[in-house]
Amino acid sequence: MDLTGYWVSLVTEDWRFRMVTPPKGDFASVPLNPEGRKVAQAWDPAKDEASGEQCKAYGAAGIIRLPGRLHITWQDDSALRLDIDSGTQTRLFSFGPAQSRGGDWQGVSTATWDRPGSPMGFGFLLGPGAGAGQSGGSLKVVTAKMRPGYLRKNGVPYSADAVVTEYFDRFDVPGGDSLLVVTTEVNDPAYLFQPFWTSTHFKKQSDATGWNPTACSAR
Amino acid sequence: MRNIRHFLSLATAFATSMTLFGQARPSPAIDFSGWWTSPFHEDSLERGAGPELVDYGGFPINEAGRLFALSYDPSRVTLRHHQCDGYVAPYQVRAIGNSRAWEERDPHTQKLIAIHWYHQTFEGHRVIWMDGRPHPPAYAPHTWMGFSTGTFVGNALMVNTTHIKQGWLRRNGLPESDQATLVEFFVRHGDHITYTSVITDPVYLSEPSVRTTDLSRQPVDPNSWLFACDDGEQIIGRGPDQVPNFLFGQHPFLTEYANKYKLPLLGALGGAETMYPEYMAKLKIATEAEAIAKTRPPQGPEQTSRAVDPDPHDGEIHVWPVRRNVYMLVGDGGNVTVQVGDEGPLVVDSGTGQLADKIIAAIRKLSDKPIQFLVNTSFHPDHTGGNVKLRASGADPSVQGSFFSLQFVDAGVGATIMAHQNVANRMSVASGKGASVAAAGWPSDTYLKERRRTFHNGDGIQLFFEPNAVTDGDSIAQFSRADVIAAGDIFNTTQYPFIDRNNGGSVQGEIDALNDILNRTVYQHESEGGTLIVPGHGYMCDEHEVVEYRDMLVIMRDRVQVLIKSGATAEQVKAARVTADYDTRYGATAGPWTTDLFVDAVYTSLKQPQTRNAAQK
Repeated sequence: MDLTGYWVSLVTEDWRFRMVTPPKGDFASVPLNPEGRKVAQAWDPAKDEASGEQCKAYGAAGIIRLPGRLHITWQDDSALRLDIDSGTQTRLFSFGPAQSRGGDWQGVSTATWDRPGSPMGFGFLLGPGAGAGQSGGSLKVVTAKMRPGYLRKNGVPYSADAVVTEYFDRFDVPGGDSLLVVTTEVNDPAYLFQPFWTSTHFKKQSDATGWNPTACSAR
Repeated sequence: MRNIRHFLSLATAFATSMTLFGQARPSPAIDFSGWWTSPFHEDSLERGAGPELVDYGGFPINEAGRLFALSYDPSRVTLRHHQCDGYVAPYQVRAIGNSRAWEERDPHTQKLIAIHWYHQTFEGHRVIWMDGRPHPPAYAPHTWMGFSTGTFVGNALMVNTTHIKQGWLRRNGLPESDQATLVEFFVRHGDHITYTSVITDPVYLSEPSVRTTDLSRQPVDPNSWLFACDDGEQIIGRGPDQVPNFLFGQHPFLTEYANKYKLPLLGALGGAETMYPEYMAKLKIATEAEAIAKTRPPQGPEQTSRAVDPDPHDGEIHVWPVRRNVYMLVGDGGNVTVQVGDEGPLVVDSGTGQLADKIIAAIRKLSDKPIQFLVNTSFHPDHTGGNVKLRASGADPSVQGSFFSLQFVDAGVGATIMAHQNVANRMSVASGKGASVAAAGWPSDTYLKERRRTFHNGDGIQLFFEPNAVTDGDSIAQFSRADVIAAGDIFNTTQYPFIDRNNGGSVQGEIDALNDILNRTVYQHESEGGTLIVPGHGYMCDEHEVVEYRDMLVIMRDRVQVLIKSGATAEQVKAARVTADYDTRYGATAGPWTTDLFVDAVYTSLKQPQTRNAAQK
């Protein structure tokens, strides 16, 4: 499965939460626990700007939902690089040892190929499919050690303890577009009472048309 | 030790064979069996309580789709025939409630035949055929779930679906037409399914609509699988020809959603551009005037139908089994309905006549008896063109040797042609002007009042007169036991109704006739199935398609009526593009029945209502 290239987001779901910054306290659909709601109600974008945290909505747990473009390339034999023009962010998906210590917006991401089960359940006989060169099935990325950020731009929070599991799938529509679908599960014992599931889709572009790196915005 | 070695060698050999086997099958089957439900973490308000009106952002709707939605009054769901409307396949997956998937395998070979999905909301049962069967022809019926075939591609189940009924992209009026097709991908990530739908709709979308939905596995049976619905609610005092709708530019809740969430109205009105990141910048400078301009039909060329022509146009007659002993014959212009049994076939309409010999041959394959009765639903040549040949090929033994045979030398020679008296009148009057059908093709068994009935081939058959609909001589034919209605040109799926003003047709008569059909139908489940309708032209239907067609015509009537009351001329009504939300489905700018001719017919029949035919109901 080749994920490389430019991809543009198709914002066809949660439109009003994604195309504009929703009002404070509008966190419909997100399974926030009482503490999460309390933090969301305290959102203050001016405060984020003053503290240099205007990129809180651009962290690994939320950035895929922001409208924008992705540029996916192989950084080297063991890491896939995901550049995102919205907020000018870069994520690295390591198939081997982690290439960062985390503590930043994008945290530490480890990647594997999540292949469909083998016939009759004898997959263990086929060997693991974890290597970067053994692509097939979904790309599974697990990200942790993130700096606390927002699931939505209006201050819906995730904590430093959040763990994000993502599945990247590419679908080629016969006679149509190639799609990239990112399924995201956010587990956050601090602010969520259950895992937060979303699926976000992108359309393949033939070139960099529209690629427009922007600065983070807290508003 | 020896046993261990033996096991290891076997395991190695097995693993090698399985690896090779796996390479030969790059896309192994994936099991989706189980109970599933959505976590509802996206669009939860829309999918749960329901969407708000004029919330179309992110939908790549075209002008027709937007205008259709803006005309939609949600009170329409209170109409009897809409109370139990189901969801179309892609919307069904996003619905609230439980879902269940299971495999159907051949008991002898264990090959996968189908994957079934059952959805609690509206009890939608979907079958995804995995055995490589082809999709049905364009004249086959449409269903809420459509006809689906699947293949495993990589780690996904890819499904292609056609033959879907008209339904909702979103149940606030955003339409998905009956011309939409669907490609879906199901991927399983452990106890989670990611579902991707790609809807292509030439009628209401300018780009494919892509949506993704999450489903989580339920470890235990939720024991909640039903969705009780019947159409028992009644609105006292509302006439059968009333369909709630908003006139263009007069949606009373146009800005409610946008104001509530402080969104620019322009974005809420949707369109392909609203899907893309660049639109965030546009939202900052969008003006009210830009938005308002989108709530009315713009100036510009009329749109034309983008629907697939259900007629194969291959010079052949195609037979579609309708139910029991009733068949639909497609290929010679107007559809032909054939009923067979232990008596001679009863045939409704005879096509244009160009393929009459092939129609006769096709009927011969269904019955070894000569055609006994031929019913004409109209005098129009696309329904009577084959009369002479079909009559000549048949015989009516019910009058041979009877008193009639003493009165007419040709009694029983050839099939008996039945129709309303006005069909005979029109055909015989037309003869002086060079009728397309010779006298031998004229009806000989006519009726004047509201009903003509007979029992034939084990079924009760009734002809009902529909005064001043398409013409002043229209009939529908109902087969009681088969539960089938041959509607003639009163209902078709290919164009606006051909209201023949020169021969007694009227918009109100046509609306009344459609409602008369609906008074005789019973759906089987969730407004689907039950009474089947053979249209004059187009694909096999049930009552849902008739309801949508009736709604369209009532809405057209209402719009034109308002303009007439304001003093508009016919030209002004046409310039107002009152059909803008339906033209991509039914419109035409060339051919025998253009949109302008249709609007003219609506206008003149409202402006100059004619006295109803003497043979009233």
